[in-house]
Amino acid sequence: MLLKLAWRNIWRNKRRSFIVLISVVVGLAAIVLTDGLSNGMMSQMLFNQINLDVSHLQIHKNGFDRNKIVKNFIPDYKHVESTLQTNPEVEAYSKRVFATGILSSASNSSGVIIYGINPDEESKVSIVKSSIINGKYLGSGKREIIIGKKLAEKLGVEVGDKIVAMSNTLKGDIGSDAFRIIGIFQTSSSGFDKMTVYVQALTEQEMLGIGDNYHEFAVIAKDYTKINLVKNNVETKLGSDYEVFTYRDLLPMLIYQMELYKESMMILNVIIGLALIFGIINTMLMSVFERIREFGVLMAIGMKNSRLYLMIIFEAFILGIFGTFVGLICGLLLDIPLAHSGINLSIFATGLESFGVGAVIYPVLSIGNLINAVLFMPFVAVIGALYPAYKAIKLEPIYAINYV
Amino acid sequence: MEILKAENLVKIYQDNGVPVNALMDINLTISKGEYVVIAGPSGSGKTTLLNLLGALDKPTKGKVYFETENITLKEKKELSKIRLHKLGFIFQAYNLIPVLTAIENIEFSMMLLGIPDKVRKEKALELMDELGIKELANKRPNEMSGGQQQRVAVARAIVNNPSLVLADEPTANLDSVTAGHLLDLMEQMNSEKNITFIFSSHDKQVIDRAKRLIILKDGRIENQ
Ligand SMILES: Nc1ncnc2c1ncn2[C@@H]1O[C@H](COP(=O)(O)OP(=O)(O)OP(=O)(O)O)[C@@H](O)[C@H]1O
Ligand SMILES: [Mg+2]
Repeated sequence: MLLKLAWRNIWRNKRRSFIVLISVVVGLAAIVLTDGLSNGMMSQMLFNQINLDVSHLQIHKNGFDRNKIVKNFIPDYKHVESTLQTNPEVEAYSKRVFATGILSSASNSSGVIIYGINPDEESKVSIVKSSIINGKYLGSGKREIIIGKKLAEKLGVEVGDKIVAMSNTLKGDIGSDAFRIIGIFQTSSSGFDKMTVYVQALTEQEMLGIGDNYHEFAVIAKDYTKINLVKNNVETKLGSDYEVFTYRDLLPMLIYQMELYKESMMILNVIIGLALIFGIINTMLMSVFERIREFGVLMAIGMKNSRLYLMIIFEAFILGIFGTFVGLICGLLLDIPLAHSGINLSIFATGLESFGVGAVIYPVLSIGNLINAVLFMPFVAVIGALYPAYKAIKLEPIYAINYV
Repeated sequence: MEILKAENLVKIYQDNGVPVNALMDINLTISKGEYVVIAGPSGSGKTTLLNLLGALDKPTKGKVYFETENITLKEKKELSKIRLHKLGFIFQAYNLIPVLTAIENIEFSMMLLGIPDKVRKEKALELMDELGIKELANKRPNEMSGGQQQRVAVARAIVNNPSLVLADEPTANLDSVTAGHLLDLMEQMNSEKNITFIFSSHDKQVIDRAKRLIILKDGRIENQ
């Protein structure tokens, strides 16, 4: 009956209850949406990096990451390869030759990272193949190169043009080779496009004079959340001659940034919650003051303070639950289509691209956060009602009955 | 058997720092089953006295004994328990809960006592039948006339079988015919159920039908 009374009291001032309801709905929808957006942006940033060249896990000769010189190639790549092949968590891997060098066209030159790859292997760990916008991806042909769009613009070259690459060799002299551009790619990161080129592993191995050796294994796991398992396994099997890094080790800034962002989103949610609490306090106070006389009568009849308190809390709780439900639906209705179509932020795209995010953000909902929000809202509503309810029970019945 | 006793009751209000002597040294004993009307001019202290007798307010001085228990010093929680179990209130402005129907208003105090749903409904209907207001059961207060609302209020006041009902000018907003019916009803409850009634009133009809009359003037009892 207390619930019934609370329920009817809610409907008594429809407009006011509606305002509380709307604020809960908007609050929750905002949380769902910002959460979806920030999650989407974060994971896009992360996955873009992973898909460019970071991958889930990288294996090098110990010391390579600090000093990326030619002679720091992997001592026994076949051993690494067999280790990876026996690991059931490994989805794919790519062997890479790595060199920093200079790329020159007739008109200009630019410092670059030259990856020597086996095209089929690489296409399973990175998005380079699918990022080709002009020409084609590397095949079996020798002395072929693919470069980023930004770099092509800088060097003033097109598909079919010839270009010269130079780099230090193992012996310490300068090796150079001429390549034909067979493809131009464009990724979500303009920095990457300006800096990175791909050639056949074999060609680069010859150019550097390192035999059939590689500098890097890029590994994709079946489940990236279990990457530490893979890391531990590989590390124990390979021993201290090798260094094994997960994407978290390789992208410390991004991970830090993501955590920072997550925290700022939490703070934003708390602010939304606080604004809601004050809104609810305000409306509940109004509703309490309007009913002072009634509360007096209830007290005179013999209603205990604790029950009266409970009744007012119930009212807020029902509104909270109801608002949460509607808010959740609204939030999801906004979020789900957007998760498919994405939110086009191309006005800010230049800025976003230098962050390594695409121009279109796809909201991602995390169930955990959603559950938090759903539990959070009715709680917020109840908190907003605590003070007004307290005010109500502090009334002296006689004062309340005579209140006009 | 005495049910209520007031001893040297004094009530002084502070009206913006100015003391107002509303009640001056009231001594009063009321026995079980009495039907008492407190009369007196406006401002004589009738409402104040009723509030003190029903423990809705605290006296400045003096004591109120209810069934030989001193209720002046009791805590809010205990007082609400006494009010729930032993007292009934009827107000001049009816004061039904607007969002509840007539029957729900009557059921409410039974609910507070923890009486189960079904028993509650039966008892409320039975009482409404007795008071001739059965057909109002599902009406909300704003769908009823003043007289009808006051009958529901009477039902609400007596449904938990209180030993004492306090009514502050219950007929003030009713025409004399309706007021007459209400008085019939309360007299009937008084004689049938032996419920003690204490009224305050200006109303000549109420005063004429009083079995015991207490006249207040300037915060003192004039007759007795
Ligand atoms: N809350 C209060 N604060 C200050 N003075 C009060 C208060 N309540 C009552 N009084 C004063 O106390 C005196 C008695 O008031 P009370 O309401 O008891 O009279 P009453 O006999 O019920 O009058 P009426 O017939 O008009 O209802 C009056 O002078 C009144 O002005
Ligand atoms: Mg009065």
